[in-house]
Amino acid sequence: MFDRLFAGALLGLSGLIAWTAYHFEVAFQYEPLGPKAFPLILSAVLAVCSVWLIIKPSANKWAPTGAVLVKLISGVLLMTGYAFLFEKAGFIISTAIVGTVFCVLFGEQTKRAVLYSVTLSVVSYFVLKHVLQLNVPTGMLFGG
Amino acid sequence: METLDFLATGFSVALAPMNLALVLIGCFVGTLIGSLPGIGPINGVAILLPLAYAMGFPPESALILLAGVYYGAEYGGRISSILLNVPGDAGAIMTTLDGYPLSQKGEGGRALALSAVASFIGSMGALILIVLFAPLLSELALKFGPSEFVWLMAFAFTCLATMVGSRPLKTTVGVVIGLLLATVGVDSGTGVLRFTMDIPNFYDGVDFLVVVIGMFAISEVLILLENWLKNDMKLTPVGKSFVSMSDLIAVKWVVLRSTLIGFVIGVLPGTGASIGSAVAYGTEKRFAEGNDDQFGKGDIRGLAAPEAANNASAAGSMLPMLTLGIPGSGTTAILLGALLMFNITPGPLLFEQQPEIAWGLIASMFVGNIALLVMNLPLIGMFVRLLSIKQSYLVPIIVMLTFIGIYSIHGDSFDLYFMVLLGVFAFILRKLGFSLAPVILGLVLGEVLEENLRRALSISGGEWSILFNGPISISLAVATLVAATGPFIYKALKPKQ
Repeated sequence: MFDRLFAGALLGLSGLIAWTAYHFEVAFQYEPLGPKAFPLILSAVLAVCSVWLIIKPSANKWAPTGAVLVKLISGVLLMTGYAFLFEKAGFIISTAIVGTVFCVLFGEQTKRAVLYSVTLSVVSYFVLKHVLQLNVPTGMLFGG
Repeated sequence: METLDFLATGFSVALAPMNLALVLIGCFVGTLIGSLPGIGPINGVAILLPLAYAMGFPPESALILLAGVYYGAEYGGRISSILLNVPGDAGAIMTTLDGYPLSQKGEGGRALALSAVASFIGSMGALILIVLFAPLLSELALKFGPSEFVWLMAFAFTCLATMVGSRPLKTTVGVVIGLLLATVGVDSGTGVLRFTMDIPNFYDGVDFLVVVIGMFAISEVLILLENWLKNDMKLTPVGKSFVSMSDLIAVKWVVLRSTLIGFVIGVLPGTGASIGSAVAYGTEKRFAEGNDDQFGKGDIRGLAAPEAANNASAAGSMLPMLTLGIPGSGTTAILLGALLMFNITPGPLLFEQQPEIAWGLIASMFVGNIALLVMNLPLIGMFVRLLSIKQSYLVPIIVMLTFIGIYSIHGDSFDLYFMVLLGVFAFILRKLGFSLAPVILGLVLGEVLEENLRRALSISGGEWSILFNGPISISLAVATLVAATGPFIYKALKPKQ
């Protein structure tokens, strides 16, 4: 079932790709193939594979429980939130918050999670910024 | 003799103080990453790649570091296989079969020591074969024109499709997704913008690092989240770690055969350590027929074979990457992408024009393997203790490193969002039984494939028959056909049991 859904989406995608590629406006072209051909060939292969997969899907036993789904979705939201905060709040604050929640998600007690994540984020900030000299966002709070 | 000169150049690069330090760091981190269940060599290399890039290392140093992580992880993978029955990475799955029973009998130390030596011999054997074959292969590759390269890539993808993953069909879909991702951005031939969706970040293509980190590291975090159970892993006591001469003598042919098998499978495009170790194990079991009742119950032959093979194939997969620009495994695909980011095109000319990179890497692998043997015999206790690191402490570090690695490339939050999105997509792919290595191979080779195809057809004025011009093209086409049909014919002919 999962396979069929996914293959259906791929089939739609291959159509979209073919349509987009077909409508590339090429002002000039010195070679016989041009920029359209390769994507068109690929979308054709993708379409054939998707149809095949719709006809003959593999069995899939993946059946996450509600609790697992909640965990997965919170993981995705957490990382999206991290992406949002990373530049705005800066490395130290965002890492401390996100690290704490991840620790808790993996079964750590809240107090230890906070302690660990705050230490991790502060130590890493100095190591990454000053020892490895990476581009680490300081954040608005610290005037960055 | 020329080879020896080049090798000497290589050693002068590999033994420069900074590179020597990087080999040691790479091997140490690699063993660590390999030994932690769940984080295999691909993830290790993927997480460290942007850091190495952002720190501004010269290309040969970055490559030496990342390669160290790669083959170091093949050593480390065995530790949790033997002690916990949990493979540290895909190449170490076969090691659990005989390694874990050994440790349950209280012979964990013996198993760890023997497998370390088997790993070492596998790696060293494969390296010697690389030194012998690299000049030959790169000389042959000098004769390649665009149509030969098209076939070479077709061959690589076909090998990948029929040998890797749950179904050839799914692997093909993975490759096509990778190839399509590679077409995003401005077309170098005509200046046409393709599939950019008017997002300026996509004008110069999707960033290789963002795709790699998103697809491997982020999806791995989700997999860890899904699989997490509140269990305290119990380490079996290691006992005394020692190498006994009689063990080594008993497995010497096993190790040599497995090294050869691992090397050949490693060289084949797309097929990496996991297949090499499985084939070696199966072969040894057949060799021992009549005397194989101990296999699966703690036979040292069953332990030595996969360990020698997975290290040999990790080294072997470097050969096509360096000489032809075709990666031999998922992890080498990432290394290839790393080279391309440094504006270095691997291939036959690499050995002529930039011997310090190709030979420096090969020489560093000799040094690294000696270091790994030392780390894995006397210092094994330290890695064993690290196995008990809790995932709750590990995951925040992984997530932090991926974010800072990607952010420090462009300093743009867009890359972070795109990375998470790709991670979710890759998680779905994995849950549906698609493997990710084909996607990365497609992404890395997409541009080269399209370029060569277009060049070939420019030469012929649009005649597709140019693809069958010349003996090398035709042999590669035949090889592709054999790779595509061989496994099915073999399956059909094999008597059913």
